Amino acid sequence: MFGGGIGMLFGFLETGFSLFYWGNALMIVIGLGFIYLAIAKKMESLLLLPIGFAMILVNLPLGGMMDYELMLKAPSAGMVMEVPMHEGDNFTKGGIICKLDSGEVVAPVFGRVDKLNVSKGRHVDKGDIIASLITMEQTNQSEFPTRPLGLLSIIFTFGIMWQILPSLMFLCLGALTDFGPMIANPKTLLLGAAAQFGVYMAFFLALIFGFSMPEAASIGIIGGAEGPTTIYVTSLLAPHIIGATAVACYSYMALVPIILPPVTKLLTTKRERAIYMKPALRKVSKLEKILFPLVATVIIILIVPTSAPLIGCFLVGNLFRESGVTERLSRTAQTAFIDTITIFLTLAIGASMPAQVFLRSSTLLIMVLGVVAFACAAAAGVILAKIMNLFLKEKINPMIGAAGVSAVPMSARVVQVMGQKANKKNHLLMHAMGPNVAGAIGAAIAGGVFLGILG
Amino acid sequence: MIDWSLAIKTAIGGFGLVFGILVLLGISVELTRVITEKIAGDKGEKKQAG
Repeated sequence: MFGGGIGMLFGFLETGFSLFYWGNALMIVIGLGFIYLAIAKKMESLLLLPIGFAMILVNLPLGGMMDYELMLKAPSAGMVMEVPMHEGDNFTKGGIICKLDSGEVVAPVFGRVDKLNVSKGRHVDKGDIIASLITMEQTNQSEFPTRPLGLLSIIFTFGIMWQILPSLMFLCLGALTDFGPMIANPKTLLLGAAAQFGVYMAFFLALIFGFSMPEAASIGIIGGAEGPTTIYVTSLLAPHIIGATAVACYSYMALVPIILPPVTKLLTTKRERAIYMKPALRKVSKLEKILFPLVATVIIILIVPTSAPLIGCFLVGNLFRESGVTERLSRTAQTAFIDTITIFLTLAIGASMPAQVFLRSSTLLIMVLGVVAFACAAAAGVILAKIMNLFLKEKINPMIGAAGVSAVPMSARVVQVMGQKANKKNHLLMHAMGPNVAGAIGAAIAGGVFLGILG
Repeated sequence: MIDWSLAIKTAIGGFGLVFGILVLLGISVELTRVITEKIAGDKGEKKQAG
């Protein structure tokens, strides 16, 4: 802590130094690391740069950009015996705010005391407001409702917790997605489905490591490799770990070129990797492309209604693209609108990572489980492709199964590069785009299933 | 305390459901292709007849 003289300027201006601790410094270094990767290495620059900057912002104490107000209520009636806190004091999660003769009132989050409404000797009834607290932590809103105060907490609350930004991001992604390669070769839908194994594998591992069911589902969905799906599911099931799951998802999407090749090589022989696939897929008619989002919407939402916000937005965006009569909407969704949503979404996600929330052992575990989810997803896609080859006359290159991990279009590009290395004649990009976009649909359905069961 | 029975149902049921829906989508894609090709074929025949 930097206390003392620089804690106050001129005797009345409180600086951030008094509250700055090593955790904030570490988070600022991580934020700078994100910005370095975005600028110097050009890795997912549109995402990592604003996330990194927002991480820096929320780790500069007293900035207030991610502050929430929480009214702490008395859990039972009683006489106030002691008030160990003063206005302006900081407390950790579980810190004692006030002692009643009926028990202690502890803080459900970390933060600082804004106003105290009780004093020693006063009687309080159950539900009386004991103190107004300021925190940057996400709470269970039914138990501890909060009111956003800062710019970023307002964006986070109304953009993410109200599920607006992830759904709109999916609309834009739909407008950017060409389902043609998948429609031309519907077998690739199976590979996208197989890759969802990673989601459920990570879900189970998270349970074994002691996470609750909603937390495990939020961690598992990282394996779907779709940022908006991960954010959507986590915001509804386990908002307190949203920073960790979102960062894990986006980081591993950026690291797909590092994660996919070893998994694919481990599961395939040199001969299998060199399997040649004809570059030309059949021509998909405009009518088929228009009908697909309509048919898929009806089928998916009838079976999994909780996937409606994601699937509905994804497929209406795609209909904008394919209909041929809403070119302006499609163009806007693909350019200015997706950029606007990206700014709000990434700043809000970066802001959900103050050191007190992010630097926990559970975050490290989430990051590890996230990479396991990605690896299992890729492995399952490759293994199913190999099984399919046992029955197919015209063999498929099993590496395209790894693209079922979604992370559109990065994983398909990685498969293309690997394919070229194994056989210079091979152009697997369009073949890999099939499982790739099928994986995106599969992840949204998997998210909807989790919400339907656990939400 | 984790309800392992619910966890197993969630995982197996969830994966099965995702797989099943994507298989259904694959079937619907094939059906759409057949129907649209037939429609296009009929239109072509009508044009030729006309």
